[in-house]
Amino acid sequence: MEKIISIKNLNYTYPEAKTPAINDLSLDIYKNEWLSIVGKNGSGKSTLTKLIDGLIEASSGTIAVDGQEINEDNIWDARKKIGIIFQNPDHQFVGATVEDDVAFGLENQGMPREQMIIAVDHALELVKMSEFKKRDPQSLSGGQKQRVAIAGVLATRPQIIIMDESTSMLDPDGRKTVLNLVEQLREQQDLTIISITHDIEETELSQRIVVLNDGQIVKDGKPEEIYDLGPELTNYGLEEPFSSKLMSTLRESVKLPEGYLSGRELKEQLWKLHSNM
Amino acid sequence: MEITFEHVTHSYNADGPTASLGLDDVSLTIKDGLFTAIVGQTGSGKSTLVRHINALLKPTSGIVKIGSRVIDSETSNKNLKSLRKQVGMVFQFPESQLFEETVEKDIMFGPINFGATEDQAKESAQKMIQMVGLDESYLSKSPFDLSGGQMRRVAIAGVLASDPETIILDEPTAGLDPVGRQEIMDMFKGLQKNGKTIVLITHNMDDVANYADDVAVIHSGKLIANGLPKDIFNNNDLLKNDLLTLPKSAEFAKKLSQKGFSFSKLPITIDELGTEIKQQLNGD
Amino acid sequence: MGRYLPGDSLIYHLDPRGKFLLTFYFVGIVFFANNVASYALLLAFVLFAVYLSKINFGFFIKGLKPVFWLILFTVILQLLFTPSNNPIWHWGIFTLSKEGMVISAYIFMRFILIIFISTLLTLTTTPIEISDSIESILKPLKRINFPVTQVALMLSIALRFVPLLVDETTKIMDAQRARGVDFGEGGLIKRIKSFVPILIPLFVSSFSIAYDLAIAMESRGYKDGEGRSKYRVLSWARRDNLTIIFMIGLTIILLFLRSY
Repeated sequence: MEKIISIKNLNYTYPEAKTPAINDLSLDIYKNEWLSIVGKNGSGKSTLTKLIDGLIEASSGTIAVDGQEINEDNIWDARKKIGIIFQNPDHQFVGATVEDDVAFGLENQGMPREQMIIAVDHALELVKMSEFKKRDPQSLSGGQKQRVAIAGVLATRPQIIIMDESTSMLDPDGRKTVLNLVEQLREQQDLTIISITHDIEETELSQRIVVLNDGQIVKDGKPEEIYDLGPELTNYGLEEPFSSKLMSTLRESVKLPEGYLSGRELKEQLWKLHSNM
Repeated sequence: MEITFEHVTHSYNADGPTASLGLDDVSLTIKDGLFTAIVGQTGSGKSTLVRHINALLKPTSGIVKIGSRVIDSETSNKNLKSLRKQVGMVFQFPESQLFEETVEKDIMFGPINFGATEDQAKESAQKMIQMVGLDESYLSKSPFDLSGGQMRRVAIAGVLASDPETIILDEPTAGLDPVGRQEIMDMFKGLQKNGKTIVLITHNMDDVANYADDVAVIHSGKLIANGLPKDIFNNNDLLKNDLLTLPKSAEFAKKLSQKGFSFSKLPITIDELGTEIKQQLNGD
Repeated sequence: MGRYLPGDSLIYHLDPRGKFLLTFYFVGIVFFANNVASYALLLAFVLFAVYLSKINFGFFIKGLKPVFWLILFTVILQLLFTPSNNPIWHWGIFTLSKEGMVISAYIFMRFILIIFISTLLTLTTTPIEISDSIESILKPLKRINFPVTQVALMLSIALRFVPLLVDETTKIMDAQRARGVDFGEGGLIKRIKSFVPILIPLFVSSFSIAYDLAIAMESRGYKDGEGRSKYRVLSWARRDNLTIIFMIGLTIILLFLRSY
């Protein structure tokens, strides 16, 4: 697997803070994977995003994006490869209308208008927001605004999309639509997705989960391995997955295999037990 | 205090060319001392509904009774303080209402507006800061130096400090991490056990299943269902038309019932689900 | 004046630069009208424009509301204080006369014309089109190194966030009302004081929006406004030329009708 981001011994302490927000963190992220970074508020998740995009400068350590170590001189090139969808849909909508907002990143690159028109239309099609092209942000739902934000990022053809708690302010419908859309785009556009969340339920679609606590990686593995931690997840401020909770209530009187079962596996297991009765 | 909506219709910009209907002939009783959940899609009118309980909005037609108070379209904007003291309201992202130099002063703001003395308000602030899970050392801090989650707690303390009988919560845990969510929801449930009436707007059906005694479902400004959570989540008309999603336990039970298992009514909490599965597997 | 109202008609399709400048021009020529015929002409023009816009007349009446008291006050002032040699009625400093009535009727008409035409501009032109027009009109200032594009972006972002801040203000006011604040009650000092709990949260939220927005803009490659291309362009069409010719015609008839 090809590395797209490589972080080595990264440290960052906020001015006036006593403890570091990121504490000697090393992490490799691979091309086309969906990596979820989970942890409670204040675990350092969002700080990490800002460091990767060079929006704040690390105290020590290195970050390489697509093979190139980022520094002051090439940060704008690195940024072109990364698109970020932030938490608050209202605070990142720059344009007066949907199409203007999607064009913002392209305008920054100085793309000629004829090309922009094609790129904007294409990006809006990808997020299925073409019919909203002329609308103003006030008339959109939170989920729709985030889809526009994704289009704005896609238009500039990045290799990596970072979702910085981008669904935490959405209602369940909006959340579902956005997450499914991102997975579809990851496959179609060969994107790498880094999604940052404190909601373990949002990691369903990811291939790998990193658990962050006090600025350090405490767990790194496939979703099953992480869910398998069960009640231990609460130590890191995360919720125990539903199937794990249900298993603990059943265990005393129902014979279940050791370890974690996903919802589907648990269902199959219970069906088997039922038919053996 | 019982709260009754009688044929309440609310129209935004009623007299202008852009009038739009927020509530459409809603009749609903929110029973005293219960935990009532209000659910419905974004923009369905949930927030419009609860804003009538403390007269931030007034009905365009119909009446709202809060205890002995009656609010209708003619109600004056004056003398609403006694009502607003009785009905506390935690807005969505309530941390944006903080403004004082210290946490203590901010919590005291409500009580003093409602006529408490300085000493009473201070005492209340000390009590409330603990209730929301922070210690007294926070009282002297500036609210703007706190983390988002802590600010949320201070804002909630500021509403509870006036000791309202009815507490309205508009998605109070949105954006909080799971541990914070659970703590805050448990605190509200505790308040209800101590006699408060709680009205919760939420999109989280597990919260409805775990905490609510009564659910009202709003759709396009209309009340389309009202009843016990267990009955509402077993109402096939609502589920068929996508007007409601199920709590995780009910969802799981529904899947289980495709083979072997059968539930006369879908269980809605993990405990209920566990008990049912054990019964069906062990026959006890 | 009013908030932009989405719609589709000739007035909507006019180039905003033309609309913007012609609105100012019209406000200027209103002061040339000085008799019944000339005012009637201008009123007919405004009503014709309103008709072309296909916008419900109610929106224009609504535009009068905020200045209703100002109009009433000015009209009454003219009505009672215009000096005259043959008053109809006289009491102390008050004089009611035919001249006074005519002048106050004209002043009333001026208000109506100016408010209707500017309401027409704001209802049919998005704030961003207005800001684009300003940018375009200010373009010559680039030569003296005035940062026209940056100022225009600033203006457009400010306009973009006005509705958001209005919503935020309503929400904060509701939250403080729920905590027992009575706006508009008590003496002046108390009233001013009651705005502190709104202004501070509003400042805090504006700063947080500004901070988030700056980060979002930087992450999308916004550097310093140099070397940017433009997605939105304004295009001047034949109908805009026709509108100008129409306005010239109107001016000539107006000059012909007014009394000297």
